[in-house]
Amino acid sequence: MANEHKWGMVVDIDRCTGCQACVVACQAENNIPINEEKDFLSRRAKQWIRIDRVWEGEWPNVKARFIPILCQHCENAPCEPVCPVYATYHNNEGLNVQVYNRCVGTRYCANNCPYQVRFFNFFDPEWPSSLWNQLNPDVTVRSRGIMEKCTFCVQRIRRAERTIEGQRGEELSDQKLKEGNFMPACVTACPTDTLIFGDMKDPNSEVSRRSEDPRHYKLLDKLGTDPNVVYLKKVDPHVVEEAHD
Amino acid sequence: MRVSRRDFLRLASFSTLGAVACNVFDEREFIAQSPVRLPEDLVTGRDNWYATLCRHCPETEGLVVRVMEGRAKKVQGNPLYPTNLGGHSVRCEAGLQALYHPDRIAGPLTREGPRGSGLYRSIGWDEALDNLRGQLDRSDRSAVLTVTEPLRGSLAHLVSSFTSAYGGRHMAFQPMEEATYARVVRDVLGQETMPTFDIKNTQFLLSFGADFLSTWTAPVQFSKGYGEFRQGQGRERGTFVQVDSRFSMTAANADDWIPIEPGMEGKLALSIAQVIISEELVNEAVIRAMTGGQGASALDAFAPNRIAQQLGIPPLRGRGPAEVIVELARDFARHGSHSLAIGGGSAAAHTNGLFNLSAIYALNFLVGSVGTEGGIKFNPPPPISELATTLPPATTAEWRRLKGEIDNGSIKLLLFRGVNPVHGLPADIDLRDALDSDDVFTVSFSSFHNETTEMADLILPDRAFLEDWGDDIPQPGPGFEIVGMQQPVVNPLPGMSPLSFADILLRMAHELNIDSAAPLDKVTFQDVLKDHARKLHQLDRGSVREATFEAFWNRLLQQGGWWDEGAVATASLPPSPNLVDIANQAQDPRITGSRDPNTFYLVPFQSISLTDGRGAHLPWLQSTNDPITTVTWTTWVEINTAVAEVIGLKEGDFVKVEGPNGKSLTAQIYHHPAVPPEVISIPVGQGHTSDIRYSKDRGQNTLSILGLPLDEETQALAWASTRVRITKTGEREPIPKFEGIVPAFRPNEEDAIVKVTRG
Repeated sequence: MANEHKWGMVVDIDRCTGCQACVVACQAENNIPINEEKDFLSRRAKQWIRIDRVWEGEWPNVKARFIPILCQHCENAPCEPVCPVYATYHNNEGLNVQVYNRCVGTRYCANNCPYQVRFFNFFDPEWPSSLWNQLNPDVTVRSRGIMEKCTFCVQRIRRAERTIEGQRGEELSDQKLKEGNFMPACVTACPTDTLIFGDMKDPNSEVSRRSEDPRHYKLLDKLGTDPNVVYLKKVDPHVVEEAHD
Repeated sequence: MRVSRRDFLRLASFSTLGAVACNVFDEREFIAQSPVRLPEDLVTGRDNWYATLCRHCPETEGLVVRVMEGRAKKVQGNPLYPTNLGGHSVRCEAGLQALYHPDRIAGPLTREGPRGSGLYRSIGWDEALDNLRGQLDRSDRSAVLTVTEPLRGSLAHLVSSFTSAYGGRHMAFQPMEEATYARVVRDVLGQETMPTFDIKNTQFLLSFGADFLSTWTAPVQFSKGYGEFRQGQGRERGTFVQVDSRFSMTAANADDWIPIEPGMEGKLALSIAQVIISEELVNEAVIRAMTGGQGASALDAFAPNRIAQQLGIPPLRGRGPAEVIVELARDFARHGSHSLAIGGGSAAAHTNGLFNLSAIYALNFLVGSVGTEGGIKFNPPPPISELATTLPPATTAEWRRLKGEIDNGSIKLLLFRGVNPVHGLPADIDLRDALDSDDVFTVSFSSFHNETTEMADLILPDRAFLEDWGDDIPQPGPGFEIVGMQQPVVNPLPGMSPLSFADILLRMAHELNIDSAAPLDKVTFQDVLKDHARKLHQLDRGSVREATFEAFWNRLLQQGGWWDEGAVATASLPPSPNLVDIANQAQDPRITGSRDPNTFYLVPFQSISLTDGRGAHLPWLQSTNDPITTVTWTTWVEINTAVAEVIGLKEGDFVKVEGPNGKSLTAQIYHHPAVPPEVISIPVGQGHTSDIRYSKDRGQNTLSILGLPLDEETQALAWASTRVRITKTGEREPIPKFEGIVPAFRPNEEDAIVKVTRG
């Protein structure tokens, strides 16, 4: 059943307000350690999904653009062939998978990722003991020396498979993922419905339909990584198009 | 029998072959393990999702919380709850950390050392409650003041009943209060309940100073509408213009951001009205009604070519300020009743704030977007009268009077719940000084040490919102009747013994024999909620209808509340305001502070994570990037990049920012390309001194340097009407921020990451 799906995401930048709800939702769901001040100062803050803010223009005709960036789950992922221990590989559901207990920490994958969405654990993660209570039991806490990144909340997909396919004998669909609370944490949190997740193989899924929107494009498309994350362009009635296209 | 190694292997291979040939074993038996499925399968326990409400900030979103083996694991928006429809903010998520915070107060404490020293001794609840009862019993009742956050629903009803039955007073505290907006809702829009904005169906949205996508009023509710406003199916993309003296997150999302001199928003609104009237862009009868028959001449003084230069609007995309205003007015009028003008935040926070907002909201009457689809949508009163009580925030002027009352001995016993006014009030009021007196006894119901709690003689830690009961009438509601329900999703951890504030009030009411009428006749707050739920049940309508009350109560909690989409506001539309009257009130803001070199307008703002400071103790919120600057964990000063370069300020430089009251703060410079040259912006919320590991000694309290400028009509704090002086201290450190140090794009280097199109 598993290879019948190809998970993907559509990110409509015209809806994104930059509110950071997805960032913290991801942090909570995936046991990402607290990014302390020293982590920002040493540029080692971990955000599996981040919102890049890009300035355009000069005062007073200045614009700030927001774009959520996460692992693009590329079909031709530059991170995969460089891993000497097959800790990162592409599975048959379109996911770029990171196997923590294979990773030996060469960091080749992070070097090769053009999207800068891989994060290395230079230190063991730490929480005060009372905050252990909030950790998600479905997600491994990564130790020192391990690379980590967005998994499309694979633990939720697996739960959905066990619940919807395994127990009920029904097929997974966008709607059933949504109803069963199995969507990735960032998608669930987003107050403007910027992020749409689903099965790209299902022609009737919202994610398939929206990925055909005339505004669609892929991030750094010319690199040929063929991401499974599709972006929909920001609309700006005053844009100087020549500057961008 | 002796079996050699060779014999053993031979026998073993025969038996394996036999087993396969006979199909004795299932195929799965030969798979050693399933590497993909194994980790999840090893998780024990079963998760449950409980519906409740977020009580972190006033929006009060509906939540569902994942609980596994008695521990809350994840907070998400309740997809059924009508105001947030599954969305939530960064602040809701951090509710988990308030629950499991390592510095949470475990049980009652009594003061041992001097006030402010933080020296307390643990005591039992019996002793603590005896002490509280003794204080309430002995005190002159008119000298007892309860201070809470603004309250709604059953808790407002309970606190109000307790206060009046006991004979004390109540005040609600909200830093950077919105009293001016509340006045306009009452006087201009004619409403007692907060209206909502039908942004989803708006075609042209014009916002003045309201950071409605980030922190103003109900940002998650408005964000839900905003997503559809931009790219909803079957509709044309809406246009959004933000008029603001600061480049907020909301301004960053606008199609056009129109910078304006602080406090001039009302005059701009009247100028827009003047263009609409003089060009007869709306119905003539409306013009006559709103100008008292004077027509085009009524607002001549506000014609763009007369006042544009006063407003501080820079040339935008090659257009002069007058041209910008005319174009804006034509666009606003063209979309008729699907145009919406909203105002708040910094536009209201001036000495002329009431005038500003009155002029802004009058624009909606001009185009007919009051009470219509795509415009201002009114909310009906709550479905049962017991839930109609609201305890709105007191104005800054009232707090100033209170300080005097404490000083002269009129107030002797203070109970603080859910607020930190010592940090959140302007420093000039100096509430700390008033509380530092042996004539005053202070009780705090806070779960955390903070600047107010540290002055308390007795600390009775409240339950975290995920452990507590409650209900809510959202303000603003979704446009129909709604009652949200809050239930405890987990019990307190072992070793923690908080008690609900509401339950303590009920216990005090019984022990003091002050009243036997509802709701004070109930034993627990849950009983009060059930009593109100019974009345809801008897309505027999709405989203939850059941034959028995028990079934109704269970469904109510399961769904996270009750609502009736058919029960909308039925009151007639308010009369249109007279633009001539509003124009007669027109005045420039009184800005406090000098206009010397190196002085700037100070436009403070609430950051999306810490807001007014209530989230500063939560590490997820401290580490959340400011969406525009990406700065975390500190206080920073946003200054125009070009101006900073001229006066020799580099990013990370520490500057002294001196307010008109002579007080100052020190913070780091952030180069910001979109701050108007005359303005600096500083977030509020930091500057805590209490011993909480994530907030202590981080940044500084911006409210301390404002002085006490007040709106002349509403007496609300005019927090955006100050000029400050900045001086270099000579120190510099890297600023903790998320953005890279390399500019995102250089011409002809790479394709833009954010691709943009006209449509």
